[in-house]
Amino acid sequence: MSTTAVVTRSVHDRWVGILIATVSIGLLLAFGMAIYADIGTDVYQSLPDALRSVMGVPDGAEPATLAYNVMLGTVGSLTLAGLAVSIGASAIAGEEREGTLGLLLANPASRGAVLAAKTTALVVLIGGSGLALWAASELVPVLLGVDIGAAQPAAVALHVTVNALFHGFLALAIGSWTGRRGLASGVPAGVITVSFVLSGLLPLLDATEPLVNLVPWHYLDGSQPLLNGVDWGDLAVLGIGTVAFAALAAVGLRRRDLRSRTLGTSLLDHLRSDPRTRRLAERVAGSARVSGIAAKTASDHQGLLLIVTLLMFGLMGLLMGPLYAAMEGTISELAGQLPEDMLAFLGGADMSTPEGFYRSETLGLMAPIAVILTGTVLGSRAVAGEEHNATLGLLLANPVSRTRVLAEKTLVMVTFVVVVGLATFAGIAGGSLVSGLGMSIPNIAATAVMLVLLGLTFSSLALLLGAATGQVRIAVYGTTAVAVATYVIDAFASINPDLADLGLASPFYYYRSTEPLLNGLPWGHAAVLLVTAALLTAAAFPLLARRDLRQT
Amino acid sequence: MSGRPAIRTQGLTKYYGDVPAVLDLDLEIHPGEVFGFLGPNGAGKSTTIRTLLDEIRATRGSATILGIDTHAQPVEIRRHIGYVPGDLAMYPNLTGHDTLRYFANLRGGVEWAYVEQLADRLEADLGKKVGDLSTGNRQKVALIQAFMNRPELLLLDEPNAGLDPLMQREFQDMMREVVAEGRTVFLSSHTLSEVERVADRVGIIRHGELVTVEGVASLRAKAIRRLELAFDSPVDISRFESLPGAREVTATDGRVSLSFDGDMEDLLQTAMSTGALRDISTHEADLEEIFLTYYRDQEVVL
Repeated sequence: MSTTAVVTRSVHDRWVGILIATVSIGLLLAFGMAIYADIGTDVYQSLPDALRSVMGVPDGAEPATLAYNVMLGTVGSLTLAGLAVSIGASAIAGEEREGTLGLLLANPASRGAVLAAKTTALVVLIGGSGLALWAASELVPVLLGVDIGAAQPAAVALHVTVNALFHGFLALAIGSWTGRRGLASGVPAGVITVSFVLSGLLPLLDATEPLVNLVPWHYLDGSQPLLNGVDWGDLAVLGIGTVAFAALAAVGLRRRDLRSRTLGTSLLDHLRSDPRTRRLAERVAGSARVSGIAAKTASDHQGLLLIVTLLMFGLMGLLMGPLYAAMEGTISELAGQLPEDMLAFLGGADMSTPEGFYRSETLGLMAPIAVILTGTVLGSRAVAGEEHNATLGLLLANPVSRTRVLAEKTLVMVTFVVVVGLATFAGIAGGSLVSGLGMSIPNIAATAVMLVLLGLTFSSLALLLGAATGQVRIAVYGTTAVAVATYVIDAFASINPDLADLGLASPFYYYRSTEPLLNGLPWGHAAVLLVTAALLTAAAFPLLARRDLRQT
Repeated sequence: MSGRPAIRTQGLTKYYGDVPAVLDLDLEIHPGEVFGFLGPNGAGKSTTIRTLLDEIRATRGSATILGIDTHAQPVEIRRHIGYVPGDLAMYPNLTGHDTLRYFANLRGGVEWAYVEQLADRLEADLGKKVGDLSTGNRQKVALIQAFMNRPELLLLDEPNAGLDPLMQREFQDMMREVVAEGRTVFLSSHTLSEVERVADRVGIIRHGELVTVEGVASLRAKAIRRLELAFDSPVDISRFESLPGAREVTATDGRVSLSFDGDMEDLLQTAMSTGALRDISTHEADLEEIFLTYYRDQEVVL
């Protein structure tokens, strides 16, 4: 069998998703550049050159090139890396999970050849996307008549692509060694999240600055490729890592038994299989987790909740306090140099106060991602997940109504989002107390309430889409698309008064605009989010009750 | 419960877009019988069962189970049924034990001793994760799940999948016990042999339409058998062709094969007097041949 067929097939399975993502990033780039160009450049002219370069505006370029950093640098690199991880994790482990790898290897193709084909597909897809992004980054300024000066978007596109391949191959290697897709996508996703955060934080302190060399994300944008062009040294680091992961994947796949259908093995399973610890394990697991629909749902997703909660409480909450206390002097000094309208332009994040620091580091992006991710996973899978797995028929052969199934699953979804909100509250409050930052505890609580309501708004959308269509994909992609779009709309609306009306359509506006960390709970805004979430959830019930259930 | 039909459908119809999956289905299943629901793949068997369970909604027509409307009171109905889906999927990360606990908790009123008794009979390993079980062993968990609440009606969609012959027999005994207690089994299958050992009556569905409902015995009688007679040397087949009930008579060397639904004694006598008979083999009338019987009958009527 020619493995060309495997390459073609793998590319075919994915290219539509890649295309949509790439086109979306290109459109966002155009949107962002147009808006930055529209704001005017007066602010910048007043800035010293050094400061302009700190902000990432190249010599002779219009500030609109900032859009490169926002779209290609942040959203683009996260998206492309995420897609690469998804493809890499599915390459081998995904086929095992679906039970199709055996079928594939029943053809006269060695494991090595299949792996090579999957690798090729990954490189083709991500490389193609990188090329398209490069083309978009050259085309957009021409179309908009923006002068990019000495900016080097090609270098950004190259860095973004190599960075994505690095993480994609990490996923491939883990999947090839373990055959477990959850692990193969979860670990690189964790690496991306933590290194994204650390690459921004570590350089802020002299003591921690050298550590940044250990963080993969540093090699993506640490050298500021938009200003300085391709940093071949940094790319070499990522490239060598990529090749090493490919080699590890080949070795790992060759040495182990293939799985027919992959099952997660939890710590509890190990304890259960050992006769000495079985009784303890049974007691811990108990029959509680199968005592009802809600308990089982919570148990199914406890790993997700644990990770997100720890991340929000520990890294994004508690640790930020001492970090701010250590850097307070440096930050205030830097902030003092910036003109006031410049601060407003940067999103009003006055990093010289602990509130501003938490707002920018924790509450700006990571906390919304944490609640939306958790809620969306639960919401999208509530009913659609059981339909996708073909278990809903058996579940509904019991004397429980569709309404009750959905209600119990909704309850777990809400609880999980609330728990993530509580963890964030406890983390920030703890961080403030530990470092004596003197932040208002009621205001932290108000912020957490708004965070929970934001999370519930999007998770209710996921619940609704899943209940209405029975398709997890539609629920996840639909919610993600709406979340990204409304986030971007709010970001631009907040700096461009012409878009203010449009901004009102974004849940992020209600979450963020009144600065609850400084001003307490905005009751009106809270009500808007609460009512939106309640309406979306309420609409899910009749839509589910009315339709035919899917048979996978 | 006696008196009320276990299942009754009236003009039950389900369209997917323009395509009818089930068309004007009228069925009445009596309490205390095993009813075989027979049809080839894609005939509409699972669609019928899923409609009865209110998983999907009829385009028109209605159905009752134990006198209760399936669409109006689905939860009430589910108290009285046990179900094995045709496309079986369970929670791969739960053990068999946890799976059964889960469903028992949702149901309420399940005696755990009875669950263990069923597990013993089927030799089911409940300690392993369902995802690690073979198809047959997974099927056992599903069967226990369906039987464990002693339901008044069992809806079984291709329940034999992956069971070895020994377990199939045990399972057939379990079904017989159910009907002996006056309860009902609705057994869907695409193979006649699976159904005929336990069923009292059989309904045949094809292209979404009910072709017939008959007792198993009369169905068997109608079936054409395919026979093959092996002789020492080539024989004259004209004597077989002239036998009443013989069709499609062909011969290669000493082997004569034919379809036959006539008197077996005549056939044997003819064979004995034709040559030195070495071997007779017959294979069961399969579903397609039974359909042919029906289509032939219809043509005769027309």
